[in-house]
Amino acid sequence: METKLKIVLFQCQWCLYSEPDQQWVDHDLPPSIHLVKLPCTGRINPLFILNAIQGGADGIMISGCLPEKCHYKEGNLSALRQHEEFINLLDYIGYERDRIRFVWLDLQDRGRIQRELANFETSITELGKANNLATRVNAPSGGQYV
Amino acid sequence: MSETIVKLKTEIERLLNEDVIDVVIAFKQEDSPLRPQPAFFRNVAELEVLEYNSLCQNNLANYLTRFPQDTRIGIVVRGCESRSVNALIVEKQHQRENLYLIGIPCHGIVDIKKIFKKTGEEVTDYSENQDEVTVIVNGKEITFSRKELLHDSCLRCIHPNPVDADILLGDPLPEGDPNIARQEVESIEAMSRDERYAWFRHEAERCIRCYACREACPMCYCTECFVDHTAPRWTESDVSQAGMQAWHIIRAFHQTGRCTSCGACERACPMDIKLTYLTEKLNKDMRELYEFEAGLDSETQPPFASFNLDDKKRFIV
Repeated sequence: METKLKIVLFQCQWCLYSEPDQQWVDHDLPPSIHLVKLPCTGRINPLFILNAIQGGADGIMISGCLPEKCHYKEGNLSALRQHEEFINLLDYIGYERDRIRFVWLDLQDRGRIQRELANFETSITELGKANNLATRVNAPSGGQYV
Repeated sequence: MSETIVKLKTEIERLLNEDVIDVVIAFKQEDSPLRPQPAFFRNVAELEVLEYNSLCQNNLANYLTRFPQDTRIGIVVRGCESRSVNALIVEKQHQRENLYLIGIPCHGIVDIKKIFKKTGEEVTDYSENQDEVTVIVNGKEITFSRKELLHDSCLRCIHPNPVDADILLGDPLPEGDPNIARQEVESIEAMSRDERYAWFRHEAERCIRCYACREACPMCYCTECFVDHTAPRWTESDVSQAGMQAWHIIRAFHQTGRCTSCGACERACPMDIKLTYLTEKLNKDMRELYEFEAGLDSETQPPFASFNLDDKKRFIV
């Protein structure tokens, strides 16, 4: 039986302040998309991304605020440097760069997150299941990690 | 090279006698001539066993973080060590005014594993000059050119001279070629994706999780490492594929903009894993993206500790 590919969405809690979109993300995400909500993209440690990959995610999407529109003034600027370099390193050791995507959202972009997720899902389906980088044995299926 | 030891001894004697410093971090002779060990000298009488040659494998800056900030430390530094000291000062791990850097321009560290590969492990004596290395194996004298025994990261070395040293023993050496430093990384980048992964997997799967690389590294000074955390457990701490790969990726990534390419991790590895090909890649990116090299001065913050509004040009919206 063919299962849908897993996508993990790391989302900054401020970037989708417009209510209908945030409602959709919080309550109506398709079951193949797992949500990790964070105070800011600057909170994302590269370990989170690696954990998601090793936990069996086939694609990772990170949504955050536009530069200079960060709720914490500069969280996304310092995040960008780290994430960009982390993706460079993953690419260097043979992980597909396209499996990780950034979306920088604005409050006015109503309905954009749905479009972006659908787009991303299509491109991940083209890439197929991720097999570069080993996954954890007995990885817990949910987001719980103790 | 014994000339250097004489100069070094006189200088350390002066520092200890005039009470400029409390302790000197340097190397001492050991039972095996091939393995000089790091040592801490607190009085002049101990200096009998002082040693300095190309077999000194450790990065002495590693021991800096184990002393309180107000200890006055004299430390013997080669090029890479002086940059490590600078990088530690940037991270406020010691105060510059409490340090006395005794700089020695470095001709490169001889890789003990390369000697063993050529001669077997029965080496009883060792001597060296600027171009040649002589070892005595089973009573026979064998001479090698120095270049074929140098450690890989020393062949790639760009800055052999100590920066910001308080005193320099010996004449400064010419700088290395950055193109040679890039070669290995570029040859891996040129491979296909699956080849690169196969290479990474081959290196990572030999790991026995002894963490010698972490202990040898001057920049790995966290009191609790992410692999030792149990709640939350960030990575598996056994020798499973996933756990080893996570260790290699994150160990290297934590060195971004901080690694000084001394190669101490690689020399410490008992499994002969090439660890520097990951950190060299990150160093190369830091040089290209932010024109930053770790430890060249004691003030510039590493790229990840700072940011610039110009970065927003790279946001793809």
